[in-house]
Amino acid sequence: MIVLAKESKKKIMGKLIKAIWIFNWFNSCGFCELVPLVGSRWDMERFGIIVTGTPRHADVLFIAGYQTIKSIKRAQRVYEQMPDPKVVIALGSCTMTGGMYWDSYNTIKKLEDYLPITMYIPGCPPRPEAVFEAVGKIFNHVKEMKD
Amino acid sequence: MSKKEDILSSFSSKFDVKVKTQRDRRLWASIQKKDLLDISAWLKEKGFTHLSSLSVTDWIDDGKYELTYHLWSYTDNVLITLKTKISRKNPVIKSVSSIWGENAQIHEREMHELFGVKFEGNSDLSPLFLEDWSGVPPFKKDFDWREYVKEKFYDRNNERESGYYD
Repeated sequence: MIVLAKESKKKIMGKLIKAIWIFNWFNSCGFCELVPLVGSRWDMERFGIIVTGTPRHADVLFIAGYQTIKSIKRAQRVYEQMPDPKVVIALGSCTMTGGMYWDSYNTIKKLEDYLPITMYIPGCPPRPEAVFEAVGKIFNHVKEMKD
Repeated sequence: MSKKEDILSSFSSKFDVKVKTQRDRRLWASIQKKDLLDISAWLKEKGFTHLSSLSVTDWIDDGKYELTYHLWSYTDNVLITLKTKISRKNPVIKSVSSIWGENAQIHEREMHELFGVKFEGNSDLSPLFLEDWSGVPPFKKDFDWREYVKEKFYDRNNERESGYYD
């Protein structure tokens, strides 16, 4: 935290956006809906987005699919293990509001009660282009920051 | 005589059960609760080594739970389905984990969680999928999940959520 106080926020965030390393927390259909991003058709690596194997290397947490009361606790632990600065992006309607599971006894209904969400990407599922747009917004946001 | 008919005749002669041939290589047997362990042990001897599933049906109007045990024999390729009814008010039955071991243990643990059926003799009936669960077992038919969700997750005074209460 001492280092954070010395450097400006723009400089810190600038390190993040050189390459966005993501950690996926995908439940149920969330995984298969976002897997096309990795493949050659949409190819997220051309934007410097790489999936990491551990939350300790990740800048961004992608959270998708319905979250159960059991799994959200694990998501919180994943979030806590990520180094600062960190960004959380929620994908899809089930993640954000419960979606079609709005009356299920075992899924969470308001994600913001459990994790600090930076950006929501709505859709069922969100298009891969929407994910790139969200990432692009992070880039632009950092570029437009004042020193 | 085929293997299925062999099992059929020896099964119904040895125990007081109603065995029905559902279709080729598939038998349904309605049994008494007290005979469960004897029949299970006998069938295990006969080669039904795999308890492939255990399910519970909630017959709320009759006040009964129906337990269904699916048993598969790898030697004879026959599926036997044992069905037994127990009281819904006091759902207690002897565990078959002494016969099928871990295989039965995990099925019974799940059914205990979802229906509240108590399996006497099962070593571990702690919650399997539900964490911090305080309500009644959720697969019971008299569990009003919509009411539960409204109480636990939503707020009537919240503008976005008041529509759920109408």
